[in-house]
Amino acid sequence: MRCEEMRRMILQDWPEEVPAAVREHVAGCAECRAYGRDFGVLRVGFRALAAEPVPEPSWGFATRVLRRLEETRDEVSVEFLERAGRRVVYATCVLALTLLLALALPSSGPLRGPTTAELYLAQAEEVTAGSIPIFTGELPSNNGATPVAPQNSGTGKKP
Amino acid sequence: MGSLPAQEAQEVQWVERAQRGDREAFGLLVECYQRRVMSQVFRLVRRRDEAEDLAQEVFIKAFRAIRSYNFRSPFGAWLSRVAVNHCYDYLRKERASRISYHWQMAEESVRRIEAQAENPQGSRLDPEQQAALRDFVGKLLDRAPAEDRVVLGLKELEGLSVEEIAEILKLNRSTVKVRLHRARKRMLEDLKRWREGR
Repeated sequence: MRCEEMRRMILQDWPEEVPAAVREHVAGCAECRAYGRDFGVLRVGFRALAAEPVPEPSWGFATRVLRRLEETRDEVSVEFLERAGRRVVYATCVLALTLLLALALPSSGPLRGPTTAELYLAQAEEVTAGSIPIFTGELPSNNGATPVAPQNSGTGKKP
Repeated sequence: MGSLPAQEAQEVQWVERAQRGDREAFGLLVECYQRRVMSQVFRLVRRRDEAEDLAQEVFIKAFRAIRSYNFRSPFGAWLSRVAVNHCYDYLRKERASRISYHWQMAEESVRRIEAQAENPQGSRLDPEQQAALRDFVGKLLDRAPAEDRVVLGLKELEGLSVEEIAEILKLNRSTVKVRLHRARKRMLEDLKRWREGR
């Protein structure tokens, strides 16, 4: 038996008794002898550990478990209420801030509709579009008649 | 005869009631399984002072998760899985926060233990040496990674078969064997280090 074989066998089978083949091998191999001795110490040690008396659950164990279940349920519900309350407070703060912003901002703006200046400019554009021709050089002469105005000149808005 | 199926039927009834939130029925299950869970927790964690607290936590976790139990495996096996997972989490945290040193053993004790290991029929260890050996191997276990401790605890201390361990850990048999092999190898290496540093 080779050293590797012997160690693999010990690790895989973890035998109760050291097999004869292992005994033969370790008799002539100092390193494996130490390995086999360590294995023996662990095996005996585990047996001693397994024989150690296990503590018994103390009297009223089940009652205490149920009490702890009740406590954890209370904790969970308190935690839930705290979390829910915190969310209500946050939502109220956000709502109040939105209202304040709505009151503080001017009544016109990009979201509210066209500003006064835009209305004024639109009117001005309407006036100029109707009276002054655009790109006179590129338009057909129309036999010397008045230049043709753009089609949307009446509305003053882009199509 | 006939008492075991009746007991099983009773247990199924308690589990079903517990799944509907009946704490009284769950209390009856606790009564039934408290010793088994306590033993398992103690063997895996090896902390006498914390075993009961941990066992209680196992039952609390089990109650919260009991709706996920689908009756495919015995309730005891399912509960064992909850216990082993809880111990595994505990051991992982504990190992990170606690450094365990090798135990010092008297030379005479070492010699007697080695002689006993080589020849189990020979001279028996006295209670003091038994205690020293328990402490020593316990310390070696404390130093091992949580994964090794769980698999070694179930096999060597709880005395479960590879199949039973595979069922509890939801692994296949060959994975359990590989883990056992690795855990034993690491324990032997640690023991060798202790011997060399002695």
